[in-house]
Amino acid sequence: MKARRTNQFLKAAAVLIFVTALVSPAHAYAGPGAGFAVLSSFWTLFIAFLYSLYAFLTWPFRHLFRVLRHRNAYGKAQIKRAVILGFDGMDPELADRFINHGTLPNLAKLRRDGTFRKLRTTYPPISPVAWSTFMTGVNPGKHNIYDFLARDVNTYLPFLSSAEIRGPKRTLKLGKYTLPLGKPRIKGMRHGTPFWHWLGKAGIFCSVIRVPVTFPPEKFEGVLLSGMCVPDLKGSQGTFCFCTTRGDQSKFREGGVRVPIERNGTAYHSYIPGPDDPLGRPSELRVHFEIRPDSTKQQAHIIVDSEKFTLNVGEYSPWIPVKFKVGLGLSAHGICRFYLKEISPEVEVYVTPVNIDPAKPDLPISHPVTYSVYLSKLFGPYATLGLAEDTWALNEQVLDDDAFLAQCYANHNDRERMLFDALEKTQQGLCACVFDTTDRVQHMFWRYLEDDHPAARNVPKDQRPRVIEDLYSRMDALIGRVMNQIDDHTLLLVVSDHGFKSFARCVNVNAWLHQNGYLALKANKTESGDWFEDVDWSRTRAYTMGLNGVYLNLKGREREGIVFPEESRAVKEELRSKLDGLTDSATGRTAITGVFDCDATYTGPYADNAPDLIIGYGNGYRASWDSVLGKVTTQIFEDNVKAWSGDHCVDPRLVPGVLFSNHKIGEEKPAIVDVAPTILKLFGLAIPSYIDGKPWTLAI
Amino acid sequence: MVVLLSVIIGLLMVVIFRYTSDQTAIRLAKDHLKAHLLAVRLFQDQLPVVLNSYARIIAGTGKYLRLAFKPLLFIILPLTLVIVELDRYLGATPLQTGQAFLVTAHAADADSLNNLSLQLPPQMSTTAPPVHIPADNEVVWRVVAATDGNYDIGIAAAGQTFSKRTVVSSRLARLSPVRLRGQFWKRIFISAEPALSDPGPVTSIALNYPSRNIYFAWMEWNWIWLFFVLSLAAGFLFKTILGIEI
Repeated sequence: MKARRTNQFLKAAAVLIFVTALVSPAHAYAGPGAGFAVLSSFWTLFIAFLYSLYAFLTWPFRHLFRVLRHRNAYGKAQIKRAVILGFDGMDPELADRFINHGTLPNLAKLRRDGTFRKLRTTYPPISPVAWSTFMTGVNPGKHNIYDFLARDVNTYLPFLSSAEIRGPKRTLKLGKYTLPLGKPRIKGMRHGTPFWHWLGKAGIFCSVIRVPVTFPPEKFEGVLLSGMCVPDLKGSQGTFCFCTTRGDQSKFREGGVRVPIERNGTAYHSYIPGPDDPLGRPSELRVHFEIRPDSTKQQAHIIVDSEKFTLNVGEYSPWIPVKFKVGLGLSAHGICRFYLKEISPEVEVYVTPVNIDPAKPDLPISHPVTYSVYLSKLFGPYATLGLAEDTWALNEQVLDDDAFLAQCYANHNDRERMLFDALEKTQQGLCACVFDTTDRVQHMFWRYLEDDHPAARNVPKDQRPRVIEDLYSRMDALIGRVMNQIDDHTLLLVVSDHGFKSFARCVNVNAWLHQNGYLALKANKTESGDWFEDVDWSRTRAYTMGLNGVYLNLKGREREGIVFPEESRAVKEELRSKLDGLTDSATGRTAITGVFDCDATYTGPYADNAPDLIIGYGNGYRASWDSVLGKVTTQIFEDNVKAWSGDHCVDPRLVPGVLFSNHKIGEEKPAIVDVAPTILKLFGLAIPSYIDGKPWTLAI
Repeated sequence: MVVLLSVIIGLLMVVIFRYTSDQTAIRLAKDHLKAHLLAVRLFQDQLPVVLNSYARIIAGTGKYLRLAFKPLLFIILPLTLVIVELDRYLGATPLQTGQAFLVTAHAADADSLNNLSLQLPPQMSTTAPPVHIPADNEVVWRVVAATDGNYDIGIAAAGQTFSKRTVVSSRLARLSPVRLRGQFWKRIFISAEPALSDPGPVTSIALNYPSRNIYFAWMEWNWIWLFFVLSLAAGFLFKTILGIEI
């Protein structure tokens, strides 16, 4: 077959050469198509040649400059390379169990020949908090991240704790338009210096891929692709779109919007909602698309701008570029995937949140900016949204288990390709990559691990898929492939930010505060809507929002604070003593196993921004969905029947992460805060005095 | 006219390229090339990575050219024929009345030169005696036309007469600068007249039509160069508008 192709190719080449040889040079011009091909390939080669020549000729000088500047970066290093594989939420107890079952041979090898420890996590054990501590080596009082959300003391409303995105500084008002004169302003709220900045300064190259809370990307001497907390094109943390012909007008609680599909003859029309109009008009931007169902083949043809593709029912499209046209030559570029859910009797299409297009990023998502472009050109479009796996869509039953898993593993496979490219490019230095699949899949499929989880009571035990065991097995295979690519001079660390526990019962702490006289509602109200809509602040002493924090309504801090600073210690102690050990009367189990005073937990310049208390929920419990959103209900406890059935926002002592290594680590009780100083020490760098972690002793 | 033709042909060619090429493969090949170029910049302090990327750029360029080769096959034949035909109209200007021009007859051998004679229509006349160039087997006449028209100039030899079409005009016209004996491919690409009878004493009859220059963008252009530039520009514009990967 190959020989026949070669033969055909040679024949065709001969015809071409013959024809071109006959004619004069002017006649041999073969049109713009071939002209472009020849010109652009010549141009590419020319640019590549210039670049390479420059790189080649200047390399000795740059190397000399680097040696002089950094006094030989690796001179005191104990290792040539550090590879850190982060698996968000990998649980040490599950890992141990599956290793003992014999399904994780590579982790078993690390446990046998290297190290396996539980890795102490942060207070609270939430990903943005723990990964911020991982990268900076400091407690949250020094990096300022305590949860996904923080609260505005003036409005009692939440805001994203990691980054603030605002419009451009200057605008020009032209009639009904407000023209932006500049780029959006993005301010990172995480403080502290990631350890790769110190490495980069010392001349040690770093490739950092999708470590959470690295948006906006900060400049350093290496490459970085931002992870968790990168927004979608709407500026949210992920808003899916569910287009349907069903007349249901109900809104999703969060994470998605329902969009009608209009029938027009044999075709159906709908749209993807985009960002708000940057020209100041009171409307959102939209991209319209057409669906042409073919019920005989159980498929539909979808047309979006110039893109046309066909999907079978239950199938995802590849990433499709979408352009939200603003007018005046402006547009916002995004990518999304379509999933055909149903074509008969109704038509339903799920569209992922519109991710920032990595090839044309409207917001910076990497350092340098070209790194995201490079990855996109090399591997094709990929998910850039921080929380790329759409857990909300599964929670809201827009996606089923299989569709959600397909989405997770598609993203995961992209990430694997990036990791192996980074490994190839970083033969010396640091290569760190975080995989989120472990977290998302355990959140959504924990229900099948337990005999009596409220979210899986209707699924017979013999029909429960072994999703989590399969997940660990896949991660083990990945670790095995990485192990095959490294030598003895490379340190491999497999870490997770926290472990996992069941989330079977919800605790509405706001309801408890209300029933115990700490939170008051407005007259004639027995409940409050989202974000304390019906709370009477003039009589409220404490409230909770987010996953683990409890706040006092402190006078002089909160706008309508009533607790005097001098009483705060007593109020906190009172709350601590009452909440700690709180029992769920329906089950007889302890719902709260620890309440931690933040004054004793955090130190640092941002400790004042912390909640006043951190609640440590017991195994099986977590803050209720309502409580997280600042809602006050009449019930304190209720079953969690959502697919989101496992969690880690509990007592930090219950959910340590994992630490595996290919080398022996002396430390018996390592903590995630120790990773940064350990890496600095292994590369022979001084550990800054403000760092809280302690370096481990490794047998290298 | 050249501008219009360039735009139309530019459009046609990119459309043909679109439907005869593997657009997905071309896009991928280009993307990979860009990625390797970016790698040279991103990892510039790591010489092995730079050299590796350079090797991949060369391999990627080869792949890209191979992908462009198939549509090139579809394009080159019709486009070459179109350009040849256009060159007959646009490559030279017709002769002008009162303007002397040369008629060159090429004989099969030097012995035949003395037997060649020029037969002109009444509207034409010679302005000088013929010049014999035995070394090249050629006889050259200087001729002038009195009025516009399409004429047949005859070259008589050994009882036969060989004609050559001659255009005297101030308008655009299809021109054939030479009439040839045999030489099939050369006739296809250069001559626009039937072959001279073979065997025969005359192997070619040529006229020196003045070459045409086109004034465009403050410059004088040969039409083919102007066509090259404009069709590329048009192609670039249309490929962007139509979303065609080239």
